[in-house]
Amino acid sequence: MFAHAAIVNGRSVEEYLSSGAVAADCQIEAHARYGYDAVFAVLDLTLEVGAVGGEIQSRPGLYPTVLRAPYSPDDDFTRLPIPDPTSAGRMPSVLEMAGRLRAALGDHALVVSLVQGPMTLAVQLLGMEKALYLAADEPDRFLQLLDYATAVSKTFGLAQLATGAHVVLVFEPAACPEVVPLGLFREMIGPRLSALFAAFKRTGAMGSWLHIAGRCAPILPRYAALGAHIGNFDYCVDPQELLSALGESRLCVDGNVKPLSFVTDGPADIEREAHRLLQIFDGRGGFILSSGCEIPPESREANVAALVRAAKAWKRPAP
Amino acid sequence: MPSDLDSLVQALTEGERERSQGIVADLVGGGVSPFEIITGGVERAMAALDKKCTAEQFNLLEIMLAGRAVMAVIRQLFPEDAALPSPRASVVVAVLQGDIHDIGKAILKILLAGNRFRVIDCGRDTPVARVVAAVADSGSAAVCVSGLISSVIPQVQGLKPALARAGMGHVHVLAGGAALKQCAAATLNVDYVGQTAFDAVAYLSSAVESCHPEH
Repeated sequence: MFAHAAIVNGRSVEEYLSSGAVAADCQIEAHARYGYDAVFAVLDLTLEVGAVGGEIQSRPGLYPTVLRAPYSPDDDFTRLPIPDPTSAGRMPSVLEMAGRLRAALGDHALVVSLVQGPMTLAVQLLGMEKALYLAADEPDRFLQLLDYATAVSKTFGLAQLATGAHVVLVFEPAACPEVVPLGLFREMIGPRLSALFAAFKRTGAMGSWLHIAGRCAPILPRYAALGAHIGNFDYCVDPQELLSALGESRLCVDGNVKPLSFVTDGPADIEREAHRLLQIFDGRGGFILSSGCEIPPESREANVAALVRAAKAWKRPAP
Repeated sequence: MPSDLDSLVQALTEGERERSQGIVADLVGGGVSPFEIITGGVERAMAALDKKCTAEQFNLLEIMLAGRAVMAVIRQLFPEDAALPSPRASVVVAVLQGDIHDIGKAILKILLAGNRFRVIDCGRDTPVARVVAAVADSGSAAVCVSGLISSVIPQVQGLKPALARAGMGHVHVLAGGAALKQCAAATLNVDYVGQTAFDAVAYLSSAVESCHPEH
């Protein structure tokens, strides 16, 4: 949950995005209101690309988006500067947010920070089409771009851990098998995700969380070997099939209520879906009930409450 | 020994742009008409990709590489879009106001062009009124809108009524993209919601066939 934490507290998305302090207050208040288990030191998904000069477009009531990528395929990716999270763009606001959340909540709630995954940031740095064509046409230079993106995300993630985050969520939707072939994930993206998770672990992160939206079932069982402790699965992944595919893996998984259901459906629908998921994973454990992706800002408050209620009720021992 | 058209289908589906263009040059030099190359090569390649998508082996990179090869061949054969042979129908594509993510639209454009649809691209962050005007100007049979973020849904819901008010209630409205494909067609007030761009092409092909069986 990102900007929904603002909406539910009578604040605007703009207020949430403009200040790490305000965003932290919104997260704290939403946590108190709903009673879930984790807060997110997250503003939006353009922090890294904005910090290296990408043109970011802001519009009322919406998350900012990348209007113009900062680099071109002709750039020398081995010579690009790594932004300093304490001063570059809006990164300092996120550090402030992580620090405030940890100071306010201590270890009573998980403070989750977020960085872009190497592939997703590479796509933001060049634009989707140019990045994918570079991967196909000049794989060696694409690897240089991935290495640069990894270094940016690693530096940002370590700074968030240093200021209070418990875990780092690596947001990597562009690595989904719907976007890139499995071989490219295995050979190019996987090693860089491993490097990220290892760096976070060395710095004392409680864990690492890999979030790849879309049909991620073919790669999700590999997450643990990459060093991830939690893996998200989106609404389009069949939880029963995932359960079978996980086998003996110790990976904790989170998912997968359809995000738009929080906007369009009712509390009974959410509870029904939550119960179905809890039932499926009841024997395995290692499951976090959540939305398949972000809970949209315009979600109905009663729907979010229904999700939390379902989880808490499930924890009670049977009479 | 595969025919040259079979070789073209293979080169296109493998995303081999330069090899595809070389085969096309040989075909044209050997007297094969551009129309035959489109129907016997490009459209067959599109059908092969569609089959691959149906088998859940779809990934964007492979589709983009194939699409790049297809567009290179189409430009090689028909330097002007208007010269496309016997377009099956005109289709307006757009990302509506409030959303600027247009990779889905880009993919759809390629698939539509490869299947002999004339495409009118209204761009991204586009007001509904501009889409309605484009449909009127082009006489399009359908509008395809792609949306990555849920906040664009009200715009999508307003598209069909806006077309009806302009006397174009018969125009098919299709939706797709990460946010929109989570909704039912009735929720979005559209005729069809595609899980992939191939779904949209299949729906349009069927709709066009039922209106113009001679195609």
